[in-house]
Amino acid sequence: MATVELKGLVKTFGKTEVLHGIDLAVEDGEFIVFVGPSGCGKSTTLRLLAGLDEVSSGEILIGGNVVNNLEPKERNIAMVFQNYAIYPHMSVRKNIGFGLRTSKMSKADKEKRIDEVAELLGMTDLLDRKPGQLSGGQRQRVAIGRAMVRDPLVFLFDEPLSNLDAQLRTQMRLEIKKLHQDVGTTIVFVTHDQVEAMTLADRIVIMKDGHIQQVGTPAEVYQKPVNMFVAQFIGAPSMNMLPGKKSSAGIVLNAGPTISESLNSDASGIMVGIRPNDLTPALDNEAALFEGRVKIIEPLGPETLVYVELGQHEVLATVPGRTPPKIGDTIRLKAPQEEIHFFNADTGAAIL
Amino acid sequence: MNWYRKLSIKQKQVVWAWSFLAIPVLFYTVIRFYPTFGAIVLSFQNWNLLGAKTWAGLENYQRLVADPVFWKVFSNTFIYLLLGTPISLVISFVIAYHLDKVNFLHATIRAMYFLPFMTSAVAMAWLWRWFYQPVPIGLFNNILSSLGISQFPFLNSTFWALPSVLAPAVWAGLGFQIIIFMAGLRSIPQSYYEAAQIDGVGPWTILREITLPLLKPTIVFLVVFSSIGFLRIFDQVFNMTTNDPGGPLNSTKPLVLMIYDTAFNAFNMGYAAAQTVVLFTILLIVSLLQLYVMRER
Repeated sequence: MATVELKGLVKTFGKTEVLHGIDLAVEDGEFIVFVGPSGCGKSTTLRLLAGLDEVSSGEILIGGNVVNNLEPKERNIAMVFQNYAIYPHMSVRKNIGFGLRTSKMSKADKEKRIDEVAELLGMTDLLDRKPGQLSGGQRQRVAIGRAMVRDPLVFLFDEPLSNLDAQLRTQMRLEIKKLHQDVGTTIVFVTHDQVEAMTLADRIVIMKDGHIQQVGTPAEVYQKPVNMFVAQFIGAPSMNMLPGKKSSAGIVLNAGPTISESLNSDASGIMVGIRPNDLTPALDNEAALFEGRVKIIEPLGPETLVYVELGQHEVLATVPGRTPPKIGDTIRLKAPQEEIHFFNADTGAAIL
Repeated sequence: MNWYRKLSIKQKQVVWAWSFLAIPVLFYTVIRFYPTFGAIVLSFQNWNLLGAKTWAGLENYQRLVADPVFWKVFSNTFIYLLLGTPISLVISFVIAYHLDKVNFLHATIRAMYFLPFMTSAVAMAWLWRWFYQPVPIGLFNNILSSLGISQFPFLNSTFWALPSVLAPAVWAGLGFQIIIFMAGLRSIPQSYYEAAQIDGVGPWTILREITLPLLKPTIVFLVVFSSIGFLRIFDQVFNMTTNDPGGPLNSTKPLVLMIYDTAFNAFNMGYAAAQTVVLFTILLIVSLLQLYVMRER
């Protein structure tokens, strides 16, 4: 186990700079998830950490030591790849044991270690099979086994669940979380799926265009997004954004209503963000924030998503699954004051 | 076309399949199978192309077994095979393996290696023949003499003539083998190598444990393909030794050249056919043997 530290990490490919100075400190035993849209630099960061690509400038520290110029094998890390990278011509036992090739352990100790790992992953009876005879989830487990067998300081996961179907993904997610609780090794995990990030991480690192947008616990990034990108990226369905202006009475929305809130900001334009989950039907005796016409409904079972037309704008709201409105109905919507987020329309930054 | 409409989908597919297959099937029957069968029959007969065919029984085969030239040619053919295939495969793999990692002028270098494959074997053989000539004509011997080294009897030595003829044959096939090897190398996912890098195994282990096993289908294909090529070697030999085809003293003569001589110089068609049957059998056995040895376990 070890801490990981990134200091002013920059990566350029030719003339293109893809990482613009990444600073991050990962604690010992922490489960860190990098999340962001494709091309945001999350995988590049992981590859730099693994030593598969060379750092252009900045420093990487593992366990307090600068590893910039160390070969991947000298960094004592293990990596699980998106396509598993398990060798089709080797048995599961050989695949898991491949990581022990260069270790100075005796042959018997190596076998013992492979058996231990196989047992931990519940695949003792699969050891003599070839990868071709395994299901996707089992192959994923072999890849994790190969990473575990060397007992590395840090585990790196590069979108390991992307190739699995939805059901297996949920199951493997749980297994990875359990594994982390059991072995307690520092994990750096890369994904483009915000649900994966929320469910797995101790802390989430949200990236965009080679910059870190926000670092925080899942609750922090959900409840207190620092900018519009984080607000809309985390949480599904995505947060509603409505433009408005500051006035003496509060924030006047272009869509109609005024929200009485005195913001400590001199921004000319304000974006108001409300999560669909917080935008619910108002009872008859309650004050409503919006009133609009239902355009589309999407039943999900426990709840129904409703697209509501507000003049030229549209919001997504949630209603209980048993009493959905009909298309064309007029619906009154409310939102708790503390769940309304405000952003500077020009910079995108949150106004707190 | 009323009958066609009444057919089931399956039957319609069969009709279409056979109408497309008809021409190749006809072609193979007339151009391939019938002559093959004819050659086998002919190997039990005597025929000089003009006169009547007379039944000879096993006479041609008995003569073949008793013919010292045949045994010399037989061993030559296998030397071409046993030297040519491994040497060409190793060289082409080494080139492909390194070319795969080169980005600078990649396409140009690849094209340069492929060029000999497109060149006429006759032109190439004559060029190499010039290389091999004694001073003051031949390139190699001129270089040797300018370095003060004595002449090398490339095509004039009964020992060195065969390797000298083999060299351009190997060279000519390299381009093709390199392209196939590179396609094979490209099909191995990069992450396999990255995973091995993180596991910290050396380049030699990666080559032996990952690259070569995953290239096995490519290697099987190339071994079979190039073996068949070397067993049928003819044009290089014929063109580089035109004054005395297969010489000196039959030291470079392969089976195909012997067949050609027997058929079209001696007009002994029955005897030539017997030799053809032997070559056919060898090709068959070698191919099957290789497929068996290299089969997926």
